[in-house]
Amino acid sequence: MGQSLLCGAWVLFALLSFVDATVLFSTLPRTLAVEDEIQNQVPAMGLAKAGDDHLVIRWVLNATAQEAAAPGLDASYEKVSLKLCYAPVSQVERGWRKKNDDLHKDKTCSKAIATQKYTSQGNSTVWRITKDVPGAVYFVRAYVLNSNGTQVAYGQTRNLITIEPISGRHASIDVAAAIFSAFSVGSLIFFLALENMRGRRSSGSK
Amino acid sequence: MAANANWQDGNTKGEPGSSLHGVTGREPVFQMTMETVGEKEATDLKGRKFALPVDSEHKAKTVRLYSVAAPHMRTFHLSWIAFMICFFSTFAAPPLMPVIRDNLGLTKVDIGNAGIASVAGAVVSRLLMGTICDLVGPRYGCAILMMITAPAIFCMPLVSTPVGFILVRFFIGFCLATFVSCQFWMSSMFNSKIVGIANGTAAGWGNMGGGIVQLVMPLVFDIIRRDIGSEKFTAWRIAFFVPGVLQVMMGLLVLTLGQDLPDGNYAELKREGEKVNDSFQKVFLYAVTNYRTYIFALTYGYCFGVELTVDNIIAEYFYDRFDLNLQTAGIIASTFGLMNLFSRPLGGVLSDVVAARWGMRGRLWNLWIIQTVGGVLCIVLGLTGQLGPAIAVMLIFSFFVQAACGATFGVIPFISRRSLGIISGATGAGGNIGAVTTQGIFFMSSKYTTEDGIMLMGIMIVACTLPVIFVHFPQWGSMFCPPSKATEEDYYISEWSKEEQSNGLHHASMKFAENSKSERGRQSPPRSKEETVGVDRL
Repeated sequence: MGQSLLCGAWVLFALLSFVDATVLFSTLPRTLAVEDEIQNQVPAMGLAKAGDDHLVIRWVLNATAQEAAAPGLDASYEKVSLKLCYAPVSQVERGWRKKNDDLHKDKTCSKAIATQKYTSQGNSTVWRITKDVPGAVYFVRAYVLNSNGTQVAYGQTRNLITIEPISGRHASIDVAAAIFSAFSVGSLIFFLALENMRGRRSSGSK
Repeated sequence: MAANANWQDGNTKGEPGSSLHGVTGREPVFQMTMETVGEKEATDLKGRKFALPVDSEHKAKTVRLYSVAAPHMRTFHLSWIAFMICFFSTFAAPPLMPVIRDNLGLTKVDIGNAGIASVAGAVVSRLLMGTICDLVGPRYGCAILMMITAPAIFCMPLVSTPVGFILVRFFIGFCLATFVSCQFWMSSMFNSKIVGIANGTAAGWGNMGGGIVQLVMPLVFDIIRRDIGSEKFTAWRIAFFVPGVLQVMMGLLVLTLGQDLPDGNYAELKREGEKVNDSFQKVFLYAVTNYRTYIFALTYGYCFGVELTVDNIIAEYFYDRFDLNLQTAGIIASTFGLMNLFSRPLGGVLSDVVAARWGMRGRLWNLWIIQTVGGVLCIVLGLTGQLGPAIAVMLIFSFFVQAACGATFGVIPFISRRSLGIISGATGAGGNIGAVTTQGIFFMSSKYTTEDGIMLMGIMIVACTLPVIFVHFPQWGSMFCPPSKATEEDYYISEWSKEEQSNGLHHASMKFAENSKSERGRQSPPRSKEETVGVDRL
């Protein structure tokens, strides 16, 4: 009985090791250097338009970190996941973008940009800002993932970019709204007038 | 007809000859009460026979849900569907909030303000609607309101700032006043014995709109995104045309197919001289001088107001406290509103069932018990920390809180005959004020966590239901006091001055008083000398 319990416990622990252990952001070393640059249609400092402009992101293993730490630092590095993250100013009063040290619960970086294979020479990517990005102030963060998909290191840009969203409005929607509203009020007035006339006619004929 | 059904328990105190209807010569002067004799002879002004059995006021004595016969059942279906669509429109934004808040850059305070705005507009419109129903009839009231607020719904696709969003939700919220026209219409079409179930079913099915919308709007949004290929920030705007178009269509149907009273429309009846144009000042005066108006406005704020509040916060509560995803939280949130399918009607049915045995006193006890239990369950919900039990408690809580709404409107039709419209409106407005107050105190700031807010809201429900104890009808009694010697006629005739009575303006109220004798419950002896015994008991 005791032995089968022990056996069961081992199996459980073995299984648990495959489950993502809670990763705390504060424990991750910042070993990557990340830079971004806006490619605007219309030049504007630090301002990008969703749907039109592109973001060029370059990341590389930080040289000083490599020298200071033991070699083989990046042995476990498999992939690099690039994400668009909300700057603190855009997280104020918006609990759905809240920062949390537990990366499972953290909602700072909700927009995935790209995932690339890790190389020590670094890489870059050009990303067209999609139309579903909300208007806010952002920075770019790169998480380094190991073969399990768990975050083991990170890097992020130092400067902030502001993204202007699309409005979502179209001239055709505006016109349709106007027509439907006019129809609503117009048909009401028509029916009331009709009943009024009918009433007057029937009382007149009495 | 079983003339002695009520008073054959051996202790009959009837006057000599009271069991021999028509023989003593002491029958009342009002000819209308004689019409109760044959159902087959009941016809409206134009001589058409009614499809359902009717009483002396031509109100239906049964509810046949599968029928659409004019005027009673057609009115029933038009009324509840119209109200449901208005609920749908008012709460169309919350399920799409994750997309809207990103498009417009909303903060938590903006969303909270918009939620309050959506129910605040109806405070004013519900008060006004009561008067409008009294003066021009529920058909016009309902249709005009729906078609005038439809443009506000069409403005939602054009919104681009937080302020615009709050304003549009405020104006859309006005259409919740169709609740008043719905209840008024039901009370005009259905007899007092079944008014509880008629009101409860119509209003309950209407309130379901708040649950249905949590399922439908995300679905419409998905379809637009996938099949039309729109961007997220455009798709939600297009989705708003659905409630808008539905509302316009329904408004037109109400105008063309609806009818104010069993005998016809207000305008026709006024021309025939059957419907008297009442004075607004008098109607208003009798509403505000009746203390029961205020008590029920307060208690309704803590059943219906709580229901509106929960509609606005429950999805987010499950999302945050139990770490669910948005779809799952939305499905759980919709079950709260969907319980209305049977819980509000059952509240009305319970009210009617209890009244058959114990009369109005039973109705009051029924209301107090149901609403207080609802309050206790609300406290429990706030204290429940596991997902499964929380869902179970929420479902039972939703049953009691919605049944209390149904039970309230089992009592309202009896408070006044002359000012029924304004009193219904005031009660409805009280419901919305309760929602505004509760959201403002407990769910706006970070002073209370949402679970603490829910628990405190439960305590407030129990406290604000206590005033029901003080509602007293001289002819029927109250929760703790028995009735006095007053009769129904005394109570309802007190709303008409001597002059108005000499002009015969009070006849409709007298017909109503006659039919309301059912509120005495079973086994009550006759009280006045002019008591008729031919009261319709079917």
